[in-house]
Amino acid sequence: MSDDPVSTFQFLGLTFSTANVVSGLVVFLLVVAVVFFTSRKLAMKPTKGQNFLEWLIDFTNGILKGSIPAGDVGKFGLWGFTLFLFLFLSNEIGLFIQVATRSGATIMRSPTSDPIATLTFSLMTMMIAQFAGVWKLGYKAHFANYMKPFVFWLPISIFEEFTNFLTLGLRIFGVIFSGEMLLGVIWDLAVSHGIVTMIIALPIEMAWQGFSAFLGAIQAFVFVTLSSVYISQKLELEE
Amino acid sequence: MLSHLVVGQTLYFGDSLFYIISFVLLMWIIKIFAWGPVTKMMQDRADKISNDIDSAEKSRTDAASLVEKRQAALANSRSEAQTIVSDAKTNGQQQREQIVTQAQADVQTMKQNAQKDIEQERQDALSDARNDVADLSIEIASKIIQRELKADDQKALIDSYIEGLGKQHES
Repeated sequence: MSDDPVSTFQFLGLTFSTANVVSGLVVFLLVVAVVFFTSRKLAMKPTKGQNFLEWLIDFTNGILKGSIPAGDVGKFGLWGFTLFLFLFLSNEIGLFIQVATRSGATIMRSPTSDPIATLTFSLMTMMIAQFAGVWKLGYKAHFANYMKPFVFWLPISIFEEFTNFLTLGLRIFGVIFSGEMLLGVIWDLAVSHGIVTMIIALPIEMAWQGFSAFLGAIQAFVFVTLSSVYISQKLELEE
Repeated sequence: MLSHLVVGQTLYFGDSLFYIISFVLLMWIIKIFAWGPVTKMMQDRADKISNDIDSAEKSRTDAASLVEKRQAALANSRSEAQTIVSDAKTNGQQQREQIVTQAQADVQTMKQNAQKDIEQERQDALSDARNDVADLSIEIASKIIQRELKADDQKALIDSYIEGLGKQHES
C-alpha cells in the first residue's frame, strides 16, 4: 500500500495530500451535521437528539474530569468534545467509505490513518498543555516544573515532551492504519479466486470491520483521555 | 505511507495547517450551534431543579406553619365561643329576673288601680241609684197626689199654676 501513488496538489507554496483534505472535509461536514441536527429545538425536557448530544457532552466532560481538576474542566470542555467527536468519526469513516482514483491513489479514507493528521492533533494537545501551564502557573512556575524533582531532570523532561507527542499521535495512527490495511488485504483475498474466496472472506471482513469499529471508538476515547492527562500534568506544581 | 516521515521526502505540512484550521473552525461552529446553547440549557435545568427543590421545601414549611396557625385559631375561636355562650346565659338570667320583677311590680300597681276604680264606680253607682230612687219616689208621689187632686181640687191646681205663672213672670 505504501507503493501506491499519492495524489497531491500545491496551494500557497504548501503541499497538500488530496486524500487528507477530502476526507478531513467530509468528517468536518459530518461533525457539523451531527451537532447541528441534534441541537435543534432545545428544551428543558430534552427529546431524542438533545438527549444524545447531552449524553455525549456529559461523556466527554467525564473523560476530562478524570484527570483535570474540577475547576478547570469547563475551559477544556468544548475542546474535548470537538476532539472526541472528530476523532471518533475520523476513525470510523474509513471502515465504510474508501475511494480511490483509477490510478490507485486513495482520495477518501480515515483521516486518522495518516500520521500527519494524528500528529497534528497530538501537537495541538501539546501546545494546549503548554499554554494551559503558563496560563495557570505563570511562566516561571511552568518552566520550573521541567527541573523537578531536581535540575538534572531537565533533559528527561524535555525528551518526555517529544515522546508524549509521538506516542499520542502514532498510537491512534497505528491502530487505524493497520485496521484499514488489513481490510484492504482481506479485500485482496476476496477478489483473488472469484466467488469461493469471496464467500470465505465475507465473514472475516465483517468480523474485522466490527473489531475495527470498536477499536476506533476506543482510540478516540484513549486519545482524549491521554490528552487531558498531559494537560492536567501542566496544570499542577510538581512536588 | 510511513515514508512521509523519512527525511528528504515531501512532508505534507499543508495538511497539518488544513487540519488545525478546520479543527478551530469546527470548535467555533460547535460552540455557536450546540455547545453554547446546550450547556446553557443544562445549566438552566440544574438551576431549575435546585430552585424547585428549594421552593418545595419552602412551601412545605409554609404549609406546616399554616396548619399550626389554623390550629391555634381554631382553639381560640372555641374558647371565644364558650365565653360568648356563658355571657349570653348570664345576661339572659339577669334579663329574666328583671322582667319578672318588673312584671310583678306592674301587676301590683294595676291591681291597686283597679281596686281604686272599682271603689269609685261603686260609690258613683250608689249615689246615682240614690238620686234615681229619690226622683222616682218624687214622681210616683207627685203622680199619686195629682190623681187625688183631679176631682177635688181643680180650682186649687189652676190657682197654683196661675200662681206659678205669675211667679215665673216675676222672676
